[in-house]
Amino acid sequence: MSDWKSYEPTLIPNIEGMHQLDTYRKHGGYEALHSVLHDSKKWPDPSSVVQEVKDANIRGRGGAGFNAGLKWSFMPPADGGPRYLACNGDESEPGTFKDRKIFEYNPFLFIEGATIAAYAMSITTIYVYIRGEYRSWIKKMEKAVSDAYDAGLLGKNIMGSTFSVDLVLHSGAGAYICGEETSLLESLEGKRGYPRVKPPFPAQRGLWGRPTTINNIETLSNVPGVIRNGATWFKSIGAETHPGPILYGISGHVNRPGVYELPSGMPVMTLIEEVAQGVKDGKKLKAIIPGGSSTPILPAKDLENLTMDADALRGAGSMMGTAGMVVMDEDTDIVETLWRISKFYHHESCGQCTPCREGTGWLEKILEKVVKGEGTSRDLDLLLDITSQMEGRTICALADAAAWPVRYTISRFREEFEARCKPSLVPVG
Amino acid sequence: MAEIVIDGKSYSFEGKPKLLDFILSKDKEVPFFCYHPSMSAPANCRMCMVKVGQYVKNRDTGEYELDEHGERQIRWFPKLQTSCNMDMMDDMIVHTHETDNLVKRAHKDTLEMILINHPLDCPICDQAGECPLQIQTYKYGPEGSRFEVKKQHKPKHVQLGPRVTLDAERCINCTRCTRFTDEISQSHQLTITRRGDKNHPTTAPGTVFDDPYSMNTIDLCPVGALTSTDFRFKARVWEMNQTPGLDITNGKGVNVDLWTRDNLVLRITPRHNPHVNDYWMTDKGRDAIQLYNENRLSTPSLRLHPKDKDLVMTSWDNTLQTIQEIVESTDSKQILSLGSPYASVEENAAWAHFSQTILKQKPSYTAHVEKGAGDGFLLVDDQAPNTAGCDLLGLKKRTKAALKKAVSESQVIFSLHDDYIERGWITKEDLKGKTWIYFGTNLTQIANAATLTVPITCAAEHTASYINVDQRIQRTYPAKETKYTNRRLDLEMSEGRLDRFGTKFDHWVNEDNKIDCKPLWEIVSDLFSLWGQTITYRHGRDVLESLNQTITALDGITYQAMDDHRGVLLSTSEPQEAST
Repeated sequence: MSDWKSYEPTLIPNIEGMHQLDTYRKHGGYEALHSVLHDSKKWPDPSSVVQEVKDANIRGRGGAGFNAGLKWSFMPPADGGPRYLACNGDESEPGTFKDRKIFEYNPFLFIEGATIAAYAMSITTIYVYIRGEYRSWIKKMEKAVSDAYDAGLLGKNIMGSTFSVDLVLHSGAGAYICGEETSLLESLEGKRGYPRVKPPFPAQRGLWGRPTTINNIETLSNVPGVIRNGATWFKSIGAETHPGPILYGISGHVNRPGVYELPSGMPVMTLIEEVAQGVKDGKKLKAIIPGGSSTPILPAKDLENLTMDADALRGAGSMMGTAGMVVMDEDTDIVETLWRISKFYHHESCGQCTPCREGTGWLEKILEKVVKGEGTSRDLDLLLDITSQMEGRTICALADAAAWPVRYTISRFREEFEARCKPSLVPVG
Repeated sequence: MAEIVIDGKSYSFEGKPKLLDFILSKDKEVPFFCYHPSMSAPANCRMCMVKVGQYVKNRDTGEYELDEHGERQIRWFPKLQTSCNMDMMDDMIVHTHETDNLVKRAHKDTLEMILINHPLDCPICDQAGECPLQIQTYKYGPEGSRFEVKKQHKPKHVQLGPRVTLDAERCINCTRCTRFTDEISQSHQLTITRRGDKNHPTTAPGTVFDDPYSMNTIDLCPVGALTSTDFRFKARVWEMNQTPGLDITNGKGVNVDLWTRDNLVLRITPRHNPHVNDYWMTDKGRDAIQLYNENRLSTPSLRLHPKDKDLVMTSWDNTLQTIQEIVESTDSKQILSLGSPYASVEENAAWAHFSQTILKQKPSYTAHVEKGAGDGFLLVDDQAPNTAGCDLLGLKKRTKAALKKAVSESQVIFSLHDDYIERGWITKEDLKGKTWIYFGTNLTQIANAATLTVPITCAAEHTASYINVDQRIQRTYPAKETKYTNRRLDLEMSEGRLDRFGTKFDHWVNEDNKIDCKPLWEIVSDLFSLWGQTITYRHGRDVLESLNQTITALDGITYQAMDDHRGVLLSTSEPQEAST
């Protein structure tokens, strides 16, 4: 892909003052919402909006990669009772820091997208769940929301139409698990952040038992563009099966870490070498974690010709996740990296299900042993065994998220782990 | 009618039962910890895993798709499923650990995980012997542990409330206790705190776990994390006899088990009865151990002179003769005969029989109802276990004023159980110059003031029936021996031990703590013989059989019927005329 240099960003465009309502509106902001609310020829009913978004195939940017419009279509018909949209800005996966760029540089784009989604699904209240540590971004959002209310873009009779919706900001309290969609709902209800058993799915029984859709902030920020320019335009951007702009959050051993908005399906090596201007200090690349710490690590040798989209990454044995890419140079201690990742999941396991509650701690403790040079090669097999005891055995996917890094890091860098271990069998005499 | 195949056997079912409920109802086993039939299923222990699939049907024709061998094709769920929250569907195929190695492996894996941070202190744990974790580990667990690193430490012996002590290290986070306070007692006092393997139940800061039903969480706890502050370290489970009984502290008639050792009731736990108390009981009902063990009247006692401070022990023969002398030297109009809602149907009936035949009057009684004491759950306003029984026998109900008046107008008073002084209905002064003969179980204030105290058996010592506020007649079993009973001879007594552990004799019973008391009907029989009448009640059954003839509502009511149906709902609530 060579035309990425001429790509015009739409989510975080390079326009000064975009976070101010008048600037946003000057650059086409709220045109999409206006047309949805008033252009009854183009948008005869809410379901036409759902259909357009479904056609655009906006795959969820929170990690699961599920078609957002399809998710919207799971909402049951409106029955006059309350219905909710929960916007997931918990952004707690290590290596992920993209949504806060939207909060900071283009908050109204997200608010407009959420409002369109609310219209499309007959939502009565939008909840925006923002990571608790994002103090200053919560402040920015509070300002934006109050401006939108003042301008009649939220609240009663939005833009002079009959459509009304409220938007409530809710700050998290620092739990990774509350980024899981159902424990986010529990947290919003004021309860302990324990994931819910599915079924029933949130579309049937979500917040306070009412139909609820949960979408990522970046996902919703793509909606105004789709409405304004059409599904075909959106599908023409980037990879065919995973279209649209992506906020790539590149961190680690690169010269220019940061969030870059580019089309999906960018070659990994282009992102590292050109976008982030290469590995720091001229060192060699060792590995990347492509989409947040739970996605399986990929060694440098597998990165040639690899592109950043769900299908290509699955083929390579990893996942797209949140496109928060962690780059590691040749001096990185993989064993210690894995220990640190496991420590995170041990700390963040909510403790509801047995395999995850007990397994995450066990993994961390064995890895600590290995890091300290006290491990044996038998421990590595035990680690792999524990991961198979955790995967797919719990209510939510956190057990998988904790198990995958261990499973794939050990299987892809086994020699480095072996080198830190004592032999299991010590000859007698 | 929908069909399901479980381990190769097909069953039909209706509605949408949960898979685990259904499997358990078919007398099959699936291990579980967090599931409880009366509470929501959080599916958090991940123990009740099964393999689930469904026959594939052709969408157009509705026919089953067949494989190359002509067998129906099965579409398996990609992961193992927890059966506790799985809705049953038509054409479902289920494999439990009996037929699937992957399920077996999952059970082993989960148990290994549960045990890594669980202290292996079974030798000093109260739960040992009745511990689901212990039992399931033996049945389904791994041979050993591969956990060679440091266990997670958590708070130990935390006093959650006046009655419940927590050992957080033993906790396996099944959330049964928190769900109990949320869904059953609705006090919302317990919650899980912290995260991951540091999780444990607790109360909100500055509050205590003083829920009136708090001790049910001890029974619910599948490990020894929640223990009874009073009972912990008192006895091993296998040292005790478990005998069915009733809660006599309230009119609800909650079904309980009495756990005894050396003729002491050491603890009381609820016994499942869907018609009365489900799986629960009040904390107050568990305090009845004090009634059964402490401050008991033992050996009849007599006040030789009205001015004497103390009563002196006397023989049973002398007691009976004294009663005869008193009755024969007093005008029957000067005698007041009182029954009691705290006594069983049999005791009241036997006493009524004697009272009507010899004392020429029908006994009256006073109800003990505290308005507003009920909570709509297991506590009712009626504080006595057998008020409905007194009504059924046709005993006249007296108010406070009527009682005071009757006492003041009588010279000799026979009373049963009730402590009118403690309740404030009469004072010690009212007893001055009266002859008060008290049949009771405990050294109450009225016993202290009486002329003659006759110790009778308590609900833990005899077989007798009680009628609760909902007109359900239920019965007790003798759980502890008196001086005149022998556990090894009384088949009804040893049941618990024989069933649970298969031992022939009970080695945990000795001569200690036996009370010198007799069932009231035996005393009544002895009294009758003094008057030359041969009426013999040797067992509560004898009294009940005579009631079968005389009271329509009790026609056909036997102990066997009460055992078979967890108590029998009486057909009429109208007071009947007793004509014994």
